[in-house]
Amino acid sequence: MQVKQVITAIVLGCLLAACGDHRSSAERFAEDGILVLGNNSEPQSQDPHKATSVADGKIISTLLEGLVRPSPSVDGDVLPGVADFWEHNEQADVWTFHLNPDVRWSDGRKLTAGDFVYAYQRLLHPEFAGKYAEMLYPLLHAESYNKGNCDWDKVGVKAIDDHTLQLTLSGPAPHLLRLLLHFTWFPVPSHKVEELGGMLDRRSLWTRPEHWVGNGAYVLAEHRFNDFLSVKPNPHYHRSKELRNRGIRFLPIVNGYTETRMYLGGKLHISNNVPPEMLAYAREIRTADYCQDPYYCTVFYRLNTTRPPLNDARVRRALHLAIDREALVSKVVRGAGKPTTCFTPPGAGYAATVPTEPSSRQAREELARQLLAEAGFAGGKGFPVLELMTTSRDVQRVMAETIQSMWEKVLGIHVDIRSCEWTAYKSAQQNMDYDISSSSWSGDYLDPATFVELWRSGGGNNCTGWGNDEFDSCLAHARRTGDADLRRQYLQRAEECMLQAYPILPLYHSERTYLRSSRHVRGWQPRLLDNFPLDAVEVIP
Amino acid sequence: MIRLLFKRLAQGVLVVFVLETITFFLVRMLPGNPFLGERKLPQHIMEQLNSLYGLDRSAIVQYFHYWKNILTDGDFGPSLVREGMQVSEIIAEAFPVSLSLGVLGMLIAILVGIPAGMLSSWSRNKWPDALLMFLAMLGICVPAFVIAPVFGKTLGTSVPGLSVAGWDDPLCAVLPALTLGLINAAYLARLTRGGMLEVLSQDFMRTARAKGAGVLRQLFLHALRSGLLPAVSYLGPAFAALITGSFVVETCFQVPGMGLHFVNATTDRDYFLIQGLVLCYGVLIVGANLIVDLSLVALNPRLRSQGTA
Repeated sequence: MQVKQVITAIVLGCLLAACGDHRSSAERFAEDGILVLGNNSEPQSQDPHKATSVADGKIISTLLEGLVRPSPSVDGDVLPGVADFWEHNEQADVWTFHLNPDVRWSDGRKLTAGDFVYAYQRLLHPEFAGKYAEMLYPLLHAESYNKGNCDWDKVGVKAIDDHTLQLTLSGPAPHLLRLLLHFTWFPVPSHKVEELGGMLDRRSLWTRPEHWVGNGAYVLAEHRFNDFLSVKPNPHYHRSKELRNRGIRFLPIVNGYTETRMYLGGKLHISNNVPPEMLAYAREIRTADYCQDPYYCTVFYRLNTTRPPLNDARVRRALHLAIDREALVSKVVRGAGKPTTCFTPPGAGYAATVPTEPSSRQAREELARQLLAEAGFAGGKGFPVLELMTTSRDVQRVMAETIQSMWEKVLGIHVDIRSCEWTAYKSAQQNMDYDISSSSWSGDYLDPATFVELWRSGGGNNCTGWGNDEFDSCLAHARRTGDADLRRQYLQRAEECMLQAYPILPLYHSERTYLRSSRHVRGWQPRLLDNFPLDAVEVIP
Repeated sequence: MIRLLFKRLAQGVLVVFVLETITFFLVRMLPGNPFLGERKLPQHIMEQLNSLYGLDRSAIVQYFHYWKNILTDGDFGPSLVREGMQVSEIIAEAFPVSLSLGVLGMLIAILVGIPAGMLSSWSRNKWPDALLMFLAMLGICVPAFVIAPVFGKTLGTSVPGLSVAGWDDPLCAVLPALTLGLINAAYLARLTRGGMLEVLSQDFMRTARAKGAGVLRQLFLHALRSGLLPAVSYLGPAFAALITGSFVVETCFQVPGMGLHFVNATTDRDYFLIQGLVLCYGVLIVGANLIVDLSLVALNPRLRSQGTA
């Protein structure tokens, strides 16, 4: 009798499951007007002064609003955010922002210029150890203050009154507005931060959902570690009527295969990344949903120019010429990129002129062999075995193997591949304990400086040992001019100067491949920085 | 029995202490540090962060400080990567997920593996035995990262209520638990079969058969108790491993459990989180082994007499 009861219970359970709600999660959330999207990794923090990743930035941009906000219609354009309007002097090194007096924090308290001053002081404070403090270095004496060499009074941030903020910069910055879109320039609720530990308390709990106070379109609703983070509309947001959805759920899915399966299984409205191996499949079965957009990111190889034979520019150029970038992009990343020989991706009104090379593949390979012979390694004879360091990601390893075989075939040289887990790889790269290192760089803001500045002599992220006076001089000129066109020309000359010395081997400008529900999502537009304002995304059942 | 319990407890404490000590020094020898990111931090920021978390002191001083905090305040330290979160909070949030998944997985393993092993041993060298052992070998050989996506793609999309991945619904636990359960069921089936075969060939079983005992009586009353000993030895560590989470299964099904933390904390060099997780894992392994030891003593009278001696 008991056995019969158990079996009956199981059968009834199955029947109930079969008769239950069969809508997918994506459908259920869409009916509630909530957007569900894959957000790569678990966020490090919702505190704009502790966060560093793109995943963090996406969440913070929904919770806090800066002086300006990104335009939902034109990539790179800015619209008034907390600031209603602004002006700057002729040199573009003193900017005055007039704040909207109606802007309030989510607890109803008025937001003042003092909140911005407090936020910038917190990030730059020598005892706070803000990882992204460098983003505020354009402010006058900010770097000096951050290193503990001067007082806060000297830093170029001033609240003229409650609704007027003045930023004095160390040099002209015609691109400042685009810089201000980065979350490091957002305000923090000084009253809440002070209430929960104070300015310098890195363990402060003010970013927990139960304590959260922000000025963005949304407020933090719930956060379950490694599961999801959800935000709901901020009742005090000054543009709350413009909100196109009723909340967002961010899922931290690191694994692209799992994420794509979840999208196809009806768990997401927008995925973050389709891995190269699944591109063809995803494109075929979800043609209308498949997206491939340009991304402000370049994949390249760093060369350690302090080690022989890579200290010889002819060897570096030979390595550069022997790579068939078209084959690399079509076979390894399955078309999710544009082959390139320059560094800064196009799209920000700037295009570097690449060094002139022979047009045919055969002539380039011949020139590569000739250069290697001139450097004393004819036919690859006597060339030491170099080490090509990559991360353990599949696509990186396959790319390294492809380039290894190209160099072997064209130049007759052999490189060993060292595949490291991410932290060991990063540690070796930053300590320059490598010969050749696979790398990528994505911009923090839509301006070529975020790429070109990387290569200044002795720069922390240079990691190639390369430096050049002409390059540094062009950068210095670019920093001193308030003329946007002239500044762009200086940056372009600097980049050309770097490219002609071959401290890096640019491979391709990457493209974002992801899936977006054509049925549930409206109003979404691709963005070079993947920073489309999510409050402008409409979710339809 | 009480003496055995205390002896095992003392050994367990020592094992956990040694494990934690080795882990403490080993993770600090790994290349890199917890503050390493895509962009290189300026030297002065790195120094400030190290000082803030006491990582600028010698490893020995850090070690004593770590134990002092645990023993006096019960403080396992902060996460160095997810700043603002405490290690104890992270474990407290993830452990119930892994525990529920582990218990479900273990139930499936026991309910499938032990009967399969018994059936297989009873029908030795006949087709049910060959079929069951073939399936068991398949479960052992095919890795979880193959089984999990296959289950997700087939059952997750075709069976109503089940889902490909995620943790937003109670039924989301079914496929990851099934994956974990069937893999362990394969081991259990083989161990049970081996144990049962040994017992079934013994004299007292022949006597039972001669006295006219039925099949079920022979299997369950006479053979099972001794035949299960190898499987029970396996169950302890397996259960501890299951409830502390599986990185592969949790990644494939996007389950927010402990397994993900184990691997992520190591790659991120989140020192305090690694130490906290190893401590938790150590305690669970030792605890599970202790229960196994006591169960074996309860099941085997010979061990009982040794244990109490």
